[in-house]
Amino acid sequence: MIAASLKWSRHNLFAKPLDAVLSLIVIPICLWTAYTIVEWALRSAQWDIIPESLRVLMIGIYPPDQIWRSWTAVAIIGALLGSALGCVFRFRRAHAVALAAMLFVVAAIMLPFGTFTVAALAGVVLLSAGAWLLYSYVPQTRRLLVPMWLAGLVAMLAVLAPPGVGLWGGLLLSVIITLVTSIVTLPLGILLAFGRRSRLSSVRVLCTAYIEVMRSVPLILIVYWVWITVPVLAPQHNVSDVARGMVGFVLFYAAYVAEYVRSGLQNVPRGQTEAARSLGMSELDVNRYIVLPQAIRVAVPPLVGNVLDIFNCAALVFIIGLTDFLRAGQMILANPQYSDRTYEIYSFLFLTYFLIGCLITFVARRLEAHLAKGSR
Amino acid sequence: MTIQQEAHARERSRPGGRLAGDEDTDHDAPALARSRRASLIRHNAIQILIIAAAGAAAILFGVAVTDALSAKGIRFSFSFLRDIAGFDISEGVTVALSAGAWPQLESFTADHTIAQAFIAGFGNTVRISVLGIVFSTILGTMLGVGRLSTNWVVRTLSFWLVEFIRNTPLLIQLVFWYFAVVLQFPPLASAAKLYGGIIISQQGTYLPALSFAGSPGVSLWLLSAGVVLALAAFAWKGRMRWTVAGGGAVLLLAAFAAGLQLAVDQPVASRFQASGGLAISPEMAAILLAIVFNTAAYIAEIVRGAIDALPRGQWEAAASLGLNRRSTLHEIVLPQVFRVVLPSFGNQYISLAKNTALGVAIGFPELFNVYGTIANQTGHSLEGVVIVMLSYLVLSWIISALVSLIDGRLAKHGAMR
Repeated sequence: MIAASLKWSRHNLFAKPLDAVLSLIVIPICLWTAYTIVEWALRSAQWDIIPESLRVLMIGIYPPDQIWRSWTAVAIIGALLGSALGCVFRFRRAHAVALAAMLFVVAAIMLPFGTFTVAALAGVVLLSAGAWLLYSYVPQTRRLLVPMWLAGLVAMLAVLAPPGVGLWGGLLLSVIITLVTSIVTLPLGILLAFGRRSRLSSVRVLCTAYIEVMRSVPLILIVYWVWITVPVLAPQHNVSDVARGMVGFVLFYAAYVAEYVRSGLQNVPRGQTEAARSLGMSELDVNRYIVLPQAIRVAVPPLVGNVLDIFNCAALVFIIGLTDFLRAGQMILANPQYSDRTYEIYSFLFLTYFLIGCLITFVARRLEAHLAKGSR
Repeated sequence: MTIQQEAHARERSRPGGRLAGDEDTDHDAPALARSRRASLIRHNAIQILIIAAAGAAAILFGVAVTDALSAKGIRFSFSFLRDIAGFDISEGVTVALSAGAWPQLESFTADHTIAQAFIAGFGNTVRISVLGIVFSTILGTMLGVGRLSTNWVVRTLSFWLVEFIRNTPLLIQLVFWYFAVVLQFPPLASAAKLYGGIIISQQGTYLPALSFAGSPGVSLWLLSAGVVLALAAFAWKGRMRWTVAGGGAVLLLAAFAAGLQLAVDQPVASRFQASGGLAISPEMAAILLAIVFNTAAYIAEIVRGAIDALPRGQWEAAASLGLNRRSTLHEIVLPQVFRVVLPSFGNQYISLAKNTALGVAIGFPELFNVYGTIANQTGHSLEGVVIVMLSYLVLSWIISALVSLIDGRLAKHGAMR
């Protein structure tokens, strides 16, 4: 045992003089940092702030007596994600075990919040697992995926809307913005991508100009610009901040989706188009049935990465006065009573963002591997 | 678009080319000509229709906006740019024509015009972009190489650092650097005792700087020219290298002979303020740290991917020549990698320049932040957006033009020396 670990460290830490020097410098720094962080986390950190402010972090200033609405929305999101997963990855026993373990741990942590929270959490997890199971073993349901997603999104927005759209906030708002943006940008991006390779030079120039301009200006500027322009153009309609923010996100990310789809389109061999044309298919059919499915196959992993991008940039809605996850954390810190809990709040925010980010990245990598298996 | 693709697109877009639905089997020449002409006319008609529709949409949008604004009593015009700003910007240098014909740089104050405020904001954006590009390239390359290090600790550490930064929002990183790191530095009074030449405090970071005593003017020009020549001799390994180096040395000597005195300007801190040296405000420090670390993580991933994609034979050939890992990396691997990754670096540089707009979250006066102040003060938010958008477009285009210029140079030389 000792000999093995000595051998391992000679190989991996002290193989060469430079390695040895690096190890001697880096290891103590790492140990000291880790020690400082662990000691702070276990001794001096006052973690009671997190359970106290968890509701604000998750749903912002949404009225507490309407919390069933947000749980319903979360359940719908879970079911939608589960169904999407089911289309690609078959639900296996390992997944069930992992989900159950995760549920158990989270439920144990959430126990002080009362049985309602734990039951709701269990319901959400069961629902998503059920959707996953259904979609992985009953392939006929997959034809209903797109209508179901649209219906689900509309239902989610409808359930959340009654207390007031302006009250949306917290992590839920970030997730809603991410979902709506990633869904709506998809058709727009596909259209833009086709427009950029159109036979008509005017369409090509217009689409290229749109994509290039959107890719050269900051997202925050587009969101702000839409936010101030919409009331000028439609003074009689009172368009909510959330809707205006989403329009900005959609306008911006459509250009990025178009670029990912275009790279997918370029990957479809020309022979495919020619073969389809020689069969006498119309131009629309060639694109719809031959080119697009193959292009999407290539574009899916970067598009999932794009979802992570959208989620990370959803924090920018602070510029139009919305309270997303990060802003909710800052709001808590603005309370003088909690002003000394900076590190606790930020650790929690970082950890949550990191876990969600890792999850999305993981799914993207698995997808890439999964889709690569099918292609020659 | 490569040339082939372009040619391809042109071939497909040629009116009457090979449109689906054409009867290619028809060998009757007049009929063929007729159908060609028909499809040409159809094609042109569609083109004109689309252009007209786009133009109409743009005009309609413009008319709607000006109408709505005039209903509120606001006129869409850029004349407000000449007004006196009346507000201050915490840091920033603008161009002024006040003293003589030559435009001069001076720090922005409340009695400058709005246009000069925009220039000051743009200057700050450019400053952060340039510094960020330089530092993030260096740090990113180090991280990318670190991810492939033979040392397990360095490899794992680089991996997790890159993963953590890439999987969390830049905004929270920026806010964290500002509120949880930079603003938690010791106050100036105790900072002065802690550090020697460098003062790191809540109120800002002060570094020692070179200062020019004596008479500036001619000697300063001589000095700059000498430094440029010296740098050129350092970077350029042509035949004239030593001549250039000699010229640089002569110019430097001449500068000192002309009465130039170089001195190190040490920052001095009193209880409440520090002066002298090179001052970096807390906001600037935070945004620079956030942007450099963030972009470095993405650059590291690009560098690692490019090194991984390099054929193993390159390493093996270098090893068989007896080169050690360090020399292999410096002489064989990195020169090839930089040629491959330069376009991807360009994309990262552009997104870095765009990311500087997040400075508004911590109050760093970059372009978007200054625009926000101007929009608040004057109410001309729509005109301002046009200016800001154009500025970012120009900045992005300059960066991509520079990157493709360097890329072209490298491609011509075949490899980086």
